[in-house]
Amino acid sequence: MKQFLLFIGKIILVLLLSAIALDFIYTLVFAQSDTRNKVENVINSKPQKYDVIVLGTSRANNHFVSELFEKEGLKTFNYGMSGSHLFETSLLLKLMVERGWKIKNVIVETDLNLSNEKRDDGTFGRFMPFLHQSKTITEHFKNENDFTELYYIPFYRYIRFDAKVGFRAWYKTLINEPTNILHHKGYYPLGFNPKANMKNNIEGLVPLRNRYYEEIKQICKANDIHLIAVTTPMCANVKGMDYFKKVKALYPEIKEFEHVVEGDEYFSSCGHLNDKGARLFTATIIKALDFKNE
Amino acid sequence: MFFNSLSFAIFLPIVFLLYWFVFNKNKTTQNAVLIVASYYFYSCWDWRFLFLLVFSTLLDYFSAIMMEDSTSDKRRKLWLWLTIGINLGFLGVFKYYDFFAQSFADLLTGFGFQTNPVLLQLILPVGISFYTFHGLSYVIDIYYKRITAERNFIDYSLFVSYFPLLVAGPIERATHLLPQVKIKRHFNFEKAKEGIYQILWGLVKKVVIADSCATYANAVFDNYESMNSLSLALGAVYFAFQIYGDFSGYSDIALGTSKLFGIDLLKNFNYPYFSRDIAEFWRRWHISLSSWFRDYLYIPLGGSQGGIWMKVRNTFIIFLVSGFWHGANWTFIVWGFLNAMYFLPLLLQNKNRSNMGEIVMGWDFNSVKTILNILGTFILTTLAWIFFRARSISEALGYIQKMVTDFQFDSQYLSNERYNFELVFLVLVFVLVEWFNRSKIEPLSGKASWIKVTLAIIALLALGVYSDYKAFIYFQF
Repeated sequence: MKQFLLFIGKIILVLLLSAIALDFIYTLVFAQSDTRNKVENVINSKPQKYDVIVLGTSRANNHFVSELFEKEGLKTFNYGMSGSHLFETSLLLKLMVERGWKIKNVIVETDLNLSNEKRDDGTFGRFMPFLHQSKTITEHFKNENDFTELYYIPFYRYIRFDAKVGFRAWYKTLINEPTNILHHKGYYPLGFNPKANMKNNIEGLVPLRNRYYEEIKQICKANDIHLIAVTTPMCANVKGMDYFKKVKALYPEIKEFEHVVEGDEYFSSCGHLNDKGARLFTATIIKALDFKNE
Repeated sequence: MFFNSLSFAIFLPIVFLLYWFVFNKNKTTQNAVLIVASYYFYSCWDWRFLFLLVFSTLLDYFSAIMMEDSTSDKRRKLWLWLTIGINLGFLGVFKYYDFFAQSFADLLTGFGFQTNPVLLQLILPVGISFYTFHGLSYVIDIYYKRITAERNFIDYSLFVSYFPLLVAGPIERATHLLPQVKIKRHFNFEKAKEGIYQILWGLVKKVVIADSCATYANAVFDNYESMNSLSLALGAVYFAFQIYGDFSGYSDIALGTSKLFGIDLLKNFNYPYFSRDIAEFWRRWHISLSSWFRDYLYIPLGGSQGGIWMKVRNTFIIFLVSGFWHGANWTFIVWGFLNAMYFLPLLLQNKNRSNMGEIVMGWDFNSVKTILNILGTFILTTLAWIFFRARSISEALGYIQKMVTDFQFDSQYLSNERYNFELVFLVLVFVLVEWFNRSKIEPLSGKASWIKVTLAIIALLALGVYSDYKAFIYFQF
């Protein structure tokens, strides 16, 4: 039995050493990259200057055409991330500030995502390689239930979020395989989808006095950033559109744009404009909003 | 509690320590701790089904004794059929009732009658097909006086509920397992080490191979209408490796776990994708079920004793029943039928036992022929798997039709955000590792075992799929 317990001990040791070695190798590779996704693009950046930064979910990523802002002389990048919640949006803004970015205006998509204060695992996972490298990230995540395991158990964070920072992502980062995620200055145009389901039901959603939106407001105030919070369009056939009225009642400063583009031909799905719709939407937004220019 | 879960990683060492350090006094205490652990293990799925397990245990235990104590053959037969009837009755109600009710209603609707079938929509108790067959083999063996009835209830309970095999086999035989639980087990380092190697390799098969293949196979099967020929062919191959890695991985973990307690279970897989014909495939795939059907259905039906038509009839019966055993769906029946059709030419030419020996390779024409036979058998098996995986027969036919008529072989980006070809390299490496270790139980033991163990651990950590968890496929049966 003693021999067996020794054998098991050796296996546990191999497991531990392998986990430590893999953790080191993975972190080393991800720490060098800034082109595979928007999270690492911000984390591994040098100080930048922007007139407009767009933040939010896919409803920001697919709706704000950076090129149209630039035509107006506004240096812009769209950092909207598909699937993300305000939890990650707030962190991304903190990291931009921490890295010395000078931002004049931040447009934050604040509509359906106001109903949620939880993390989005898909986006959260992309921060994992940098968990030990940034105090801001550590602080932001420290109240999560699984923070202790993610922080202290070697390689656990890569296992837990293997779909985002697993072997495939690691390998593609290692060989520096290009992605289109940063093309069009972060804006991701969608095509027309003839099979799209042009209806939605958002009756179950309730906007919250969202702590991460409050955080974003504080960060902007403290760093002299002009915050523009907006809602973005939905298709016509939506049950529960009074959600947007509740948003307005809760946060009067949020500007309503949910109705500025109408007609299914402008949508790729009920909650996402296609490129034609996004261009129409962005043009309307640019005209309607005042941007800080100094 | 899945074998590849954190809870099992905590459960197993606790049971191991209790078994060898606290309750190691005699075989009764050893068996008692394993029964308690097994009941706890089963209750983690759904504690309500414990009653079913206990009832099944009591039924088979007492009816076996009654059968043995009966003086008249008539009474023995009565006990046998009563036990078979109740056991299959439970299986029928939980697993097949809705299928028959719906199929009958569909038939009547086809004839123009209005029907509204009463469906029970019961949750299938995990492992019911396995422990029912397990108990049936015991009472049938008693009836034919191959063994004597077990009078010690603790020993018998462990035979039925032993946790490594409880939910997905292997389907044990009383002649093999009962003698082992009737004696005190002594710790054997070599056996326990073998067990650990087998558990590790089983985990690699499940977490690295099966679950990786599952994400691709699901992406292809769920969107087969928009897939091209290459994606559909690869999807079928990925599913073939998913189901193999999943089920043989489970069996390896079960066998390895059992070895830690000093108990050997029946071998369930023997590198089935290296079979040279379908008959050999069925001697290497889910061996405990195939041999169960051979011993308790094929042979009692007359086996190969009668004329050729008798053999053909019996072969079709066991393949169709085997398909139906897997699930209450026509797709499984077609899968069984296809395998019977594959088997038929071998049976008619009396060649179903021509590939019994080991595969020997060299630099000669015979080896080329062997490789072609292996590839041919794999293609046939993979085609049949399409029916096993599809939700309906029309879906399976649509899948095959698109695969052979589309003629597009470009790389395709799948809904799992991966390209269709990305997993081919991993599957090929797995096939090569298995090929060069096909004479062993698992590839980790032997020379340079620590290097191989380290590589297996690294593969588990780096290549395993953890965030998109897939339950073991055979748990649903």
